[in-house]
Amino acid sequence: MSDTNDQPVVVVRELHKEFHRDQLTIPVLIGTNLEVHAGEFLALMGPSGSGKTTLLNLIAGLDRPTDGTIHVAGEDLGSMSESALARWRSRHVGFIFQLYNLIPVLTAFENVELPLLLTHLNRRERADHVRTALEVVGLADRVDHYPRQLSGGQEQRVAIARAIVNDPTLLVADEPTGDLDAKSAREILDLLCRLNKDFGKTIIMVTHDPHAAERAGTLVHLEKGVLVDSPASPATPQSVQA
Amino acid sequence: MKLLRYIFRNVMRNKLRSLLTVMAIWMCLMLMTFLYGYLASMEAWGKEADKYNRVVVMNKQGFDGLVPEKMLSEVREIKGVVAAVPFSWFGGRYGDGSQFFAQFGTDPEQVFKVWAEYKIPADQLEAFKNDRQACVVDRELAERLGLKIGDRVRLQGTYYNFNLDLKLVGVYDPPETTLSLFYNVKYLDEGLRATAGGRGAGNCGTIFFKGASADIIPKLCSQIDQHYESSETPTNTQTEKAFSQMFVKMQGNIQNFILFIAVFVTISLTLVAANGMAMSMRERTTEIAVLKAIGFQSGRVLTLMLGESVVIASIGGVLGVGAGRGVYALVHWAAPMIVQTSRMPWPVMAWGLVISAAIGLASGIVPAVLAARLSVVDGLRRIV
Repeated sequence: MSDTNDQPVVVVRELHKEFHRDQLTIPVLIGTNLEVHAGEFLALMGPSGSGKTTLLNLIAGLDRPTDGTIHVAGEDLGSMSESALARWRSRHVGFIFQLYNLIPVLTAFENVELPLLLTHLNRRERADHVRTALEVVGLADRVDHYPRQLSGGQEQRVAIARAIVNDPTLLVADEPTGDLDAKSAREILDLLCRLNKDFGKTIIMVTHDPHAAERAGTLVHLEKGVLVDSPASPATPQSVQA
Repeated sequence: MKLLRYIFRNVMRNKLRSLLTVMAIWMCLMLMTFLYGYLASMEAWGKEADKYNRVVVMNKQGFDGLVPEKMLSEVREIKGVVAAVPFSWFGGRYGDGSQFFAQFGTDPEQVFKVWAEYKIPADQLEAFKNDRQACVVDRELAERLGLKIGDRVRLQGTYYNFNLDLKLVGVYDPPETTLSLFYNVKYLDEGLRATAGGRGAGNCGTIFFKGASADIIPKLCSQIDQHYESSETPTNTQTEKAFSQMFVKMQGNIQNFILFIAVFVTISLTLVAANGMAMSMRERTTEIAVLKAIGFQSGRVLTLMLGESVVIASIGGVLGVGAGRGVYALVHWAAPMIVQTSRMPWPVMAWGLVISAAIGLASGIVPAVLAARLSVVDGLRRIV
């Protein structure tokens, strides 16, 4: 388990999320409470439909809760407008997706540069940041490659470089190894662990893979919208307050 | 500016689709530029004429009515008239008839005072005045016909049943090509007296005169018309601009017809381009969601999508306006009586570019708004 700071970066209180499909109301999260501390690497596991991606989206400011509060880095996400939330995400959250989601018409360098286009950095400063991020993920020699010219593992590394390039408060990863072979998956998990240990990055990772979850310092389970300590009983560790 | 590279990359993303959209706009703008250039060229005469204070006196019954020589003398006596000339259409056929151009019988003494902006060397003008069979031509016409000074110009009568055998003594340079020939109206009179028993002789056809200033022209027009109102030959006196607009009006509703076609072609083209943009947006739903996830605000996504459609439409617009200008020049070269001016008015080209950008905006607005309003979670759900 990594060293963590006492100050929670993420504080989720009595979180409820419902989806509406036609006449049906589908409760996805039911009174969820969660704290994630600075420098923590937390894995969220659970069966399909348990609400883990929904919880991740809410913490990342991509969606709005039906009820309850989410504070990230001291800011109440529920009180922000859409545009303020977009600005907040650009500063505080780095996203890593299962299918990498790189822009196919941009090179690795340009993909990593994308979040920096929203900052006031000049061209040279942006280039410095991008090169540093690509060096961290071990792809300094692939800057001019397009996604189609990279392997799946390399694409995911570029996506990780894009996620860390603006030094966000929080990294969120949704099944980051779900589309990779075992070797590439291991390399990506090594990289995430290194970002957590060497660079102190706070990471929340959704995964189905027990091997991936083992690499995280904290493991929590979601079942039918409720956080549990293990698949059988409610969770009670320091990081999970159900 | 930071996003331009991304916009251009997206334009090139699906090359075939972009190429087809560009070509569709290219073709449409080429047609519209040519048609509007043609309409503008018809009005160009009037706009140009307005600067020179010229007035046309014609019979109230139209071109077939008589405008007697005596009237010319009387007009010349009116205070404020600088110079006045007869201007009689011959309508002859030159050579094999493939090169049709205007031929006017006029008074060599005063014609270049009425058209003072036309430049002709003094010795050539003198030769025109001194030889009743002499003629002078517009420089472009001379070049087209391969005529040089001293050549014979034989015009076969079509409206009149006799021919004119003229000698080219001068070439004049108007500000804008006219593709016309001036000869001495007295030579026409001689022909009429010799072949038609004098019927039609002594007729000026129309009278063109130059007023001393623009502000007295309305008064001169009404003065002349009032003077001849109760005579055998009542007149219709109007500015050269109004005279030119008569020819435009003769074409009936062709302007409205062209406008009608242009509007519908533009609307259908916009819908086609919008379909392309909508397809492009649908294919990139996840990508747009990712952009929004990493912090791109709705306005920026809107700008990206609209920028893309405007760039595609503008490329088509630039190519279309350029091609339309080319077609215009080609038609002017091949059929100068249809497109009479060689220079296409720049507002026509400017409007072409504005319309192409507007097509881009209109075709991109719905897909762009949909993209801007896309829920990030919904967009990502497609692949998560």
